[in-house]
Amino acid sequence: MKTFKGGFHVPDNKALTAELGVELMPLVPDYFVSLSQHIGKPATPVVNVGDQVVEGQLIAQASSFVSANIHSPVCGEVVELVKRKNAQGATVDYLHIKSNGKQDKFTLPKLADPTAEEIVKRVAEAGIVGLGGAGFPTAVKLQPQDPVDTLIINAAECEPYLNCDNRLMIERAAEFVEGVRLIAKAINVSNVYIGIEANKMQAYDALVALDGVIGDSKKELEGRKEGDIVVVLLKKKYPQGAEKTLIKACVNREVPVGGLPSAVGCIVDNVGTAYAVYDAVVNGRSLYKRWMTVSGQGVNSPKNLEVSVGTPLSAIIEFCGGLKDDTVKLVSGGPMMGFSLADLDVVTTKTDSGLLALTDKEACTVLPTPCINCGRCAEVCPMRLMPMYIDFYTTVGDTANAVRYGAANCFECGTCAYVCPAKRPIVQSVRLTKMRMKEKK
Amino acid sequence: MAQLVYSSSPHVKSPRTTRRIMIDVCIALLPACIAGCVLLGLANPTNGWLSLMLIAISCLSAVASEFVFLLCCKKSFKTILHEFDFTSLVTGLLIGMNLYPTSKWYAALLASVFAVVVVKMLFGGTGKNIVNPAIAGRIFAFIAFGAAFGGVMHFNQGDSATTVVSPITNGAVTAGSTPLQTLFNGGSNTLTNVDLLLGTGVAGCIGEICKIALIAGGIYLVIRGVLNFRWPLVYIAATGVTAVIIALIGGSSFVDALEIFLPSILSGGLILGAIFMATDYVTTPNTKLGNYIYFVLLGVLTAVLRKAVKGEAVSFAILLMNLLVPLFDRYIRRKPFGYVKPVKEKKSKQKEGE
Repeated sequence: MKTFKGGFHVPDNKALTAELGVELMPLVPDYFVSLSQHIGKPATPVVNVGDQVVEGQLIAQASSFVSANIHSPVCGEVVELVKRKNAQGATVDYLHIKSNGKQDKFTLPKLADPTAEEIVKRVAEAGIVGLGGAGFPTAVKLQPQDPVDTLIINAAECEPYLNCDNRLMIERAAEFVEGVRLIAKAINVSNVYIGIEANKMQAYDALVALDGVIGDSKKELEGRKEGDIVVVLLKKKYPQGAEKTLIKACVNREVPVGGLPSAVGCIVDNVGTAYAVYDAVVNGRSLYKRWMTVSGQGVNSPKNLEVSVGTPLSAIIEFCGGLKDDTVKLVSGGPMMGFSLADLDVVTTKTDSGLLALTDKEACTVLPTPCINCGRCAEVCPMRLMPMYIDFYTTVGDTANAVRYGAANCFECGTCAYVCPAKRPIVQSVRLTKMRMKEKK
Repeated sequence: MAQLVYSSSPHVKSPRTTRRIMIDVCIALLPACIAGCVLLGLANPTNGWLSLMLIAISCLSAVASEFVFLLCCKKSFKTILHEFDFTSLVTGLLIGMNLYPTSKWYAALLASVFAVVVVKMLFGGTGKNIVNPAIAGRIFAFIAFGAAFGGVMHFNQGDSATTVVSPITNGAVTAGSTPLQTLFNGGSNTLTNVDLLLGTGVAGCIGEICKIALIAGGIYLVIRGVLNFRWPLVYIAATGVTAVIIALIGGSSFVDALEIFLPSILSGGLILGAIFMATDYVTTPNTKLGNYIYFVLLGVLTAVLRKAVKGEAVSFAILLMNLLVPLFDRYIRRKPFGYVKPVKEKKSKQKEGE
């Protein structure tokens, strides 16, 4: 089984929701749609306060090359443009849409046999961004500057608790693979891999059962035909689903320090993104709904949900039976790279893959103690950095040395902080150093 | 709902803590402690009880001195108790195990206080010490107390054997002379390798007598994920191989030289030092390559020093190598994932600087 060097087997806790079919989150009265649900410039609103909108209608337009369109998740009235806190704690603009309960839908024309340009154009129109968490506009990604020969679909879903990609592959296998083919067509590559962690055998079986999709055993690879998609079974290890480690595991190429995957001829897209591309091209539906996992021991009934963007998290938790009394932490996203929430007064965005309520037992809120130099952080670092020094130099305020030990190369997967017996806040140190670097510039 | 915790990711953490690691080390040391006391007690019941007492004294004084030091730093007793991570208990236990049954009680007490207060706390506490506190404590006791450390004195007074035991040699008094001394000075060695392994008939420091108990403790630590099995093995093997090479250089025949391999591994404090003291996280390099070089050099130094002083030198070798660790960490660094040529790196760094 393929994998990368370093990393750590983090208990996945996926059993809570692995067998649960996706449910549709019911309508709520108020939606707050963020204008910056992606990396890049916030979108510019194209509706005015008081306008009536229908589900799927464009309400904010991409304001530059790296930006994304935003569509209304519901039929109703634009009530106001407000500033609210997002999950990361930053204040951004939101369009407040009051639902009127109507079921009208606006869809883009369906494309029967689109060309590469048409696909890219549709992806941009539909406001598709990377649904793995970063939210990079997919249309930009589909027009790489470097020559690209390989498409890798990130189906590792290495974050504990999360099951939305897993369920999507089980329940919508054919549609997902169709989406993968559309992306491959858009960037004109025939070498396509789907990297999937070995704890998702049900999804693996569902995928290889399809025509033109094969496993990665030697025998199957020998019989590989032109255009066949290869599902690569990856060792269950965190962070298997990080772009660089996934490329290393699937095609054994190392993205250079500071480089993008396209530097080694690869494009990496998430499962949800591929499905969104299918939905946009074949059904003409823009991206305003996504699958997310609501889980953790602190939630009364964990669920996999299809939610519209802008849904208040409090409504989602209520739909999942509310919180238990011993919840000590709320997390937006996965437990390793997600953001902890101060309260539930936050709404969903395109990039929210999970909402977790963790109890004290799961979250381990022990305070940090002095570093004992055990070296575990360096052992597990997938980027082969030396996190103990980054933490040390950040703590003493020596940014230059923290950078020398690779703070800038860190993608904050959190494996080091997970294994640290002293519970050092290493990721926090890395972020602090990155912030100080920015300030210097 | 309980008070929400708001923090940077990751939001889940491994259950392993520093305290748990140190408790594991204490557990791993227990078999050797007990075996040492029992074996010494079998030869001479008084020595058995004395050993037990010494270990108790060193443990208590190590822990107490940490508490007193922190109380002097105006920390509340509750905080100290809450933050207590058992490292000083490990130090105390190791110092006790590195004493001889005939050591005086004040040697145990002062060695522990020195180790914890001077070597650890004054340098900044857990994780900040430059050398291993237990090693420093042992050497402090040896240099400061000499006879009171248990060194120059008749070991088994009731027995016919009245060999003078030097503290840094492993005194295999019961059988006549120490295996190491025999190795280096010639003479007949009545102890077999099996004796050395089991500790039967071997005298010496309380904790280093029974190698099999030490190895059992080491295996426990490896299973618990506390210890990387590579490093003790590299150290021990390097010591044995160097001893053989030294013998070959000294003109021994190949077969004779090979015979020195097992005794040089199994005598003295090598196993104790290799499993529990040289591998101390704080005083070992941070990289895999650094560790390989470190432990090989440590083994070579141990064997050479042993030959040079004609006695045990494990603790001195570890102390000396501990002091070199910052150099290892400074000059041996890992290449990050996707590392490109250094020329390119420099250019990009300059750009960042601008």
